[in-house]
Formats: sequence, C-alpha cells, structure tokens
Amino acid sequence: MRAIVLTCLIVSSLLMPPWIGAATAPHPSLPGLPNPKVLVGQIGHVGGVFLDSQQTDPSTFNPILANSTASTGPLGYLFDGLVEANGKTTDIEPGLAESWTVSKDGRTWTFVLRQGLQWDDGTPLTADDIVFTFKVIYDKKIPNSAADVLNVAGHPIEVTKIDARTIQFHTVQPFGPFLREVGNATLIPQHMLQKAYDAGQFNQTWGVNTAPRQIVGTGAFVMTEYRPAQRIVYDRNPYYWKVDAHGQRLPYIQHVVLTIVPNQNALRLLFQGGQADSYGVRPAEYAAFQRGAKAGNYTVYDGGPSFGTEFLTLNENPNSGLPDYKLRWFQNQKFRQAVSYAVDRQAIINQVYAGHAVPEYGPESPADKFFFNPHVMQYPYNLQKAADALAEAGFKKGSDGTLRDADGHPVAFVISTNADNPDRVAIGNIIRQDLASLGMQVTFAPEAFNTLVAKLTDSYKWEGIVLGLTGGIEPADGQNVWKSSGSLHMWYPKQAKPATSWETEIDRYFNLGATTVDQNRRRDYYNQWQAIVAEQVPFVYTAIPFAYVAVRNKFENIQFTAFGGPFWNFPVIYIK
Amino acid sequence: MIRYIVRRLILLGPLLIGITFVSWAVIQLAPGSTDYFQSLVLQYPQISPQRIAALRAEFGMDRPPLEQYLRWLWSIVHLNFGYSFAYNVPVAWLIGSRALNTLLLSLTSLVAAWAIAIPLGIYSAVHQYSAVDGALSAGAFVAISIPSFFSALLLLYGAFWTHLLPLQGLTSADFDFLPWWNKILDIASHLVLPTIALGVFSVGGLMRYMRTNLLEVLRSDYMKTARAKGLSEHTVIFRHGVRNAINPLVTLFGFELGGLLGGAAFVENVLGYPGLGRLVLEAVLKKDVFVVMGSLLMGSVLLILGNLVADVMLAAVDPRIRYD
Repeated sequence: MRAIVLTCLIVSSLLMPPWIGAATAPHPSLPGLPNPKVLVGQIGHVGGVFLDSQQTDPSTFNPILANSTASTGPLGYLFDGLVEANGKTTDIEPGLAESWTVSKDGRTWTFVLRQGLQWDDGTPLTADDIVFTFKVIYDKKIPNSAADVLNVAGHPIEVTKIDARTIQFHTVQPFGPFLREVGNATLIPQHMLQKAYDAGQFNQTWGVNTAPRQIVGTGAFVMTEYRPAQRIVYDRNPYYWKVDAHGQRLPYIQHVVLTIVPNQNALRLLFQGGQADSYGVRPAEYAAFQRGAKAGNYTVYDGGPSFGTEFLTLNENPNSGLPDYKLRWFQNQKFRQAVSYAVDRQAIINQVYAGHAVPEYGPESPADKFFFNPHVMQYPYNLQKAADALAEAGFKKGSDGTLRDADGHPVAFVISTNADNPDRVAIGNIIRQDLASLGMQVTFAPEAFNTLVAKLTDSYKWEGIVLGLTGGIEPADGQNVWKSSGSLHMWYPKQAKPATSWETEIDRYFNLGATTVDQNRRRDYYNQWQAIVAEQVPFVYTAIPFAYVAVRNKFENIQFTAFGGPFWNFPVIYIK
Repeated sequence: MIRYIVRRLILLGPLLIGITFVSWAVIQLAPGSTDYFQSLVLQYPQISPQRIAALRAEFGMDRPPLEQYLRWLWSIVHLNFGYSFAYNVPVAWLIGSRALNTLLLSLTSLVAAWAIAIPLGIYSAVHQYSAVDGALSAGAFVAISIPSFFSALLLLYGAFWTHLLPLQGLTSADFDFLPWWNKILDIASHLVLPTIALGVFSVGGLMRYMRTNLLEVLRSDYMKTARAKGLSEHTVIFRHGVRNAINPLVTLFGFELGGLLGGAAFVENVLGYPGLGRLVLEAVLKKDVFVVMGSLLMGSVLLILGNLVADVMLAAVDPRIRYD
C-alpha cells in the first residue's frame, strides 16, 4: 500500500505540477472511496440545473462506437478514462487510475485503479472492466476509431490484469502518444455489455433507442431521459469519484438539460432566449455579443486561437488525370510559395473573422501550447516576393496580364470548396482575387460536400480545394493526413513510396514521434515536421479564428481556457 | 364497394415496387458524390480505409446496387426496414420516434386550416364582390405567396421580440419536471407557431377553392329551383349548395391525409420542431439510404391510402358516384 502511494506522489510530481497542492493538504476521503480525486475551487453547494445545447442528435450512446462530437459530447457526462487531460495545463493527470508507472524500455505501462470505484448502478469497477473494454476495442468486427489510434506499428496493445486494481499494458514498440490515447479510451461496464458482446450484438447495443438508465458509466451524471430531436436530461451520479477540497462528493450541479436544435442560428436564439447557459460565439458575432453581455447577464470568454485550420491545397497527384503541365506547376515548391505570398491573410482575418483571428503558416495551431513551433517559414502578404518566386520558376506575365509557364501555357485552374460552409466560400473568394493579381485565372466553384469528398478520396479529379481540418493536441492523430501513405494525404494520397524527399522526411519524423516516449524528444520531431510543411507548402494555410464562448453569469469556479473551454472542471462548478 | 377497395389494395404492391425501385435508382445515379461511409474520412481523419470497408460490408453496401435493392425489398416483405448507417438503430424506431410529433403538428394545422378556410370560403362566395370578400381574397393571395419557411421566420421574429411564445421545439427545457396539466399547456404553447406557419398560411388556397366551387354551384339552375320552391336561404346554401360544392375538396383532403407524416422540413428546421422532415432531410444529405427509402415507402403508402380514403368518401358524400 505504502509503495503505491509513493509511486502516486512521484508520478504526480513528475507529470502534473498543479496537482501537488492537493497532495500536501490532508487528503479528503469518502466511506468506501479512500482516495477520490480532489478538484480545487471554491466550496459550493449541490443543486440547480445547467442548460446545455447542441446541434444535431447523438448517433449512438455506445462510447466505443461514438466518433462524432454530436455523440461524444452528450456521452462526456457519462464516461471517463483511466487518465484525463487537465483543461488548464493540457497535461495528463490521474483519472479512474490513481497512478501509473512506465518501464525503462518504454514498452510496459502499469496502472493502479482507485480503490472502491463504482459504476453508476452501484456495481464495483475492476480491472476486468478494463480488459473487457480493450478486448472490445480490438475486436475486428467492431468498427471504432479508438482501434485506429491505439495501434502500435500495426499491433494492438496487450492488456493484462495483474490483480483487481492493477492492469498492465504492453506495446511491441515504445508508443509516444500512449497516455493521451489511453485516456481517450472510455471504459465500459463488462456486467452490462458482456452478454451482447458474446452474442455478436455489440454494434447494435446501446444505440439511441436504449432506455437511458441502461447506459451505465462512471461519469459525473447519469442519463434519465432522451427525446429524439428535443433533449437529453441528466441527473447527478451518486457514486461519482471526485470530491471538493472539503471532501464533499461532486458534482455540485443536480441536473443537466441538453437541448438539441437543428442549426447554429437556433443555438444562438436558444441562448439569447435564456434556454441555454452557454453559446460558442463565432468571430463575426463577437462584437454584437460583447455589446449584449450586460443586458443578457453573460460573459464572453476569449479562448485565443482555436485548433481548427483552413487552407488551400493544390493537386500534385500523378494519378489525377490532370495534364502534365498543370501537375508541374502544383508540384513546384516555388509556385506554391508564390501562392502563399499572394494570399492576403489580413484581408481574410478582417472580412471573414471580423478581425478576430491570427495568420497561420504551419500545420499546428498556437493553441497547442506544447507542440506548436513558432519558428517556421512565414509568408506575409507580398506580391513582389510572389512574382519573384514565379519568375524563378520560369513563369512570365505577358503584356495581356496573363501569367504563363515556361512552355507558354496560361496559368488557369479551378478552386473548389464545400458550399455549405460560408467562411470557406468567403476565403476562397479572397484567394481567387489575390491570385488574379498575379495573373492567374482562377475559377472558384463551391460544390456539395459529398461531391468534394468523392473527388478528394476517390476520383482525385480536382485542381485546388479550400478545406479545413479540426485539430487537437496530439500531432500523431494527423498521421492519415501527413504520412505519404495516408488516405487523407490530400495532394497525393496513398503513395506506395514517398514521391519526394521532403515527404520521406515527414514520414520519418511521424514514425519517430509515434515510437518515442520522451515527450521533449517528440516535440523536436514534430517541430521538424512543422518546419518542413511551412517550407514546402503542400497546404497554403490562411488564418486561425479565435474561440469565444458566452456563458451566463450564474456559475462559480469557471476557469476558462482555450483547450478546455469554460466547463473542463464541470463537476466543481456550481450555481451561485 | 368492398370489391373495389380490395382491388385497389392489391394494386398497392406493384405500385410500391415501382416507386421504390425508381427511388433507389435515382439515389444510385446521383452523379459525382460518395456514399455515407466514404464521407466519414473528412470528419474523422484518423479512420482507416479498412474501417470504412468494414462498415460498408456490415450494412451490405459493398454488393452490386441491384442486389442491394433486392435484399432491401426482401427484408421489407418481412417488415424489416433495415438499420440506419448514421445511428445504427432500426429505421422503424428512428421514424417512430418522430412520427407522433409530426402527426400531432399535421393534425393541428390540418384542423386549423380547414376550420378557418371552409367557413371563410362559404362567406366569400355568398357575399361575392363585397368589401369583406375583397379583403379575404387579398389576404388569401398574400398567404399563398409567402413560402412556409419565410412565414416561420416572420413568426419567429415576432415571438423573439414579444416574449409571448416559446421560440423552438415541442417542449420546454424543464418539461420533465412539470406536473401533467402544465405539460399539456407547455406542448400547446409550443404548437402555436408551427401550426400558424403550416396551417393558417395554407388557408388561402383552400378558401379560394371553396369560394370558386360554391360560386359555380350557386349559379346553377337547381339553386333557382330550390329558391323557387320557397326553401329558406340557409337550407338552399348549406343543403343544396355546399354539399355539391364540396366534392373537389374531398379529393384534396385525401391528398392531405397522404402528407400527414410527410413532415415539413423547412418549418421544422426554422422552428426546431422534432419532426420527421428534419430526420429525412438529414438522411438525404448524409446518404443514409435505408432511412430515406423507409420514409419514401411510408409516404407512398400513406399517399395511396389517402387517395383511396378520398375516393371512398366521395362515394359517401355524393350518391351519383358508384365504383361497381
């Protein structure tokens, strides 16, 4: 026992400095739960309703099968992982596991569960549940994205139960993103799901047609009601494993009501009508919301740059059926750099995001405090530099104002985007004008999302596309985009062998990053990747909008961060 | 009569096969776009191609299109509507979870529309070219010209500034904590806006139908005869006039029965109403094929049955009509 507590302290001092404060004070405990997780904050009281809202219905209540935010959002109230990310520091800290150790070779991880954990129906949570969870994740018949991520050089992670509270993970190679990815794997109860799993019915289990109380988890809340296209209602979980500094069991909030609406405008109306307590304010709406803050009794929090990226990419794929001369333009680094110099990012920031954005030149957002590399090549708006780069590559602007390549082909191509995204359409229009001033004849043709996906992943018949990708902290999650073999390596997907030396380099750094456990060395590898991407410009990045959230002034203990949002410490938030 | 009904019901089968086959073919032939599974890749960049193939195989969508259709048809014969790709639950449950809401709204707007339109139409016809008739006709043309999503937006705007009515949905956030009588009141207050948007704004067309039909009847010789017999004006208009003028409206009513579960995607989207229209629109955009096919099938059955009901009702109200 003593040894376990000792490892816990050592681990915490190594990995998560802010947690130390709680460890030095007398540690609160609950009957049957000697070591609950302590959340810091002012001491509050239990009660009240939190009015949440979201666009579109969840597609499943099965946390293993859920992969859209419409499902993972509502399930976030119900399920936990072994470890979790701190919303403030973004570090990984203990969750259901109170401590962990890693062997010297970085291939064996040992986790110890908190003593006395219970599922929200009162059944004890043991190492068997964890073994079951991973058995399900690695089952070939169960399609889940966790299996794609928790995959080390093509091999699953070996999971062994040591005793009722101890569990060991063994990877064939050291696995860099291990802690973060294991934390993302939400634990499911064996006693509820074993039968369905054995019967081969797992994929149809815990669908949205399940009685809400059948969905058993470890989260702060339990689901009591689901009305399709209307709302989900939650109640406090009486078995929750987190406490406040006085040892009072959390969460403070008694009920959560999550209203489901069909579109963004309805979300806004809901918030303004007082039927929701928070709203993700778009940059263009920021000024209006700031003005209404006092009358509406809310605060608009500024999260700084968000994780999403918007970019232009040009087709370099020899299997695309594009004429050779066009491929030669797009495959030319100088050409892509010229395009990047010609994109007026400030105009995009002003017109699309009402000034609330920062220019972007590399693949990682500054929101990623750990992995972001600020020292990459930059392309501030400069038509002269763009013209110089084009001249260097043999392009000439004729007396008629048309840019032609060395063989006399006029530079004309089509840029597309998905028409349902107004921001992207606006960005595309600005880029078209910018490129026209270089003498390029760009046709901008927004089209249906599905059509765009078909071109990107199937027919490859496109010239330029304005697109966006959501991001996160862990760069390894982007391997499908960045490795030359990836199916979302848009400019030339599914390459058998990297076509260029810089793609070979990126592949190498991604493999190194995935198989290194030392986080500082991993950062060096991913810094190299960001530098290469900025220099080679396979994606012409545009701007990163700021994340704003309006929250009603009725809560205490909100510690807003860009990464965690206003509610990352939700259990300890209470209503004044 | 019964033989007629049975004959129509037997024809239902081939008709439905025709409708579903054409729908399936149209979905397959839509050019240039991918299926549901391929578009997952942009939403979850970490998904592997093997995963996408496995998902596609799970739903039998890796087989040739014609075989897919025949398998779907075979399961329909067994009353199995298949599974939704996006939700992985039976299509029947998905449609069932919204069908009651849609039915409720359709009924309230149907009742509102007919209850207002018929009396107004009669009044207009009887008082042809009076000031009230002119005003009603002008109002009718305005109502016909405003598309339902726009009327919904106007109503939403009004409700937002007056704070008199709830803005969206079918129930309030605290619905589950209310006593039963407040639950009824809550639903009723939520139904006002969509009912006006769908029902009241469709009064115009119906009213014009009623007016025109009745005017035609009022000019006929037997009306003169009725008056000459010395019948009271009330009896003349309601027993002889309206009963003869109502026939085309009965046919129209049959069509509306067919649309009861069709939903009204535009109004539902604007007012956040939890109905079928939203579900089906979403399924069409995502290419969630079985949901689309299931709702098409249901809509077709209802439309055919609605027509049958209308034909039977026609025979009931008009002794001149016989089917045997």
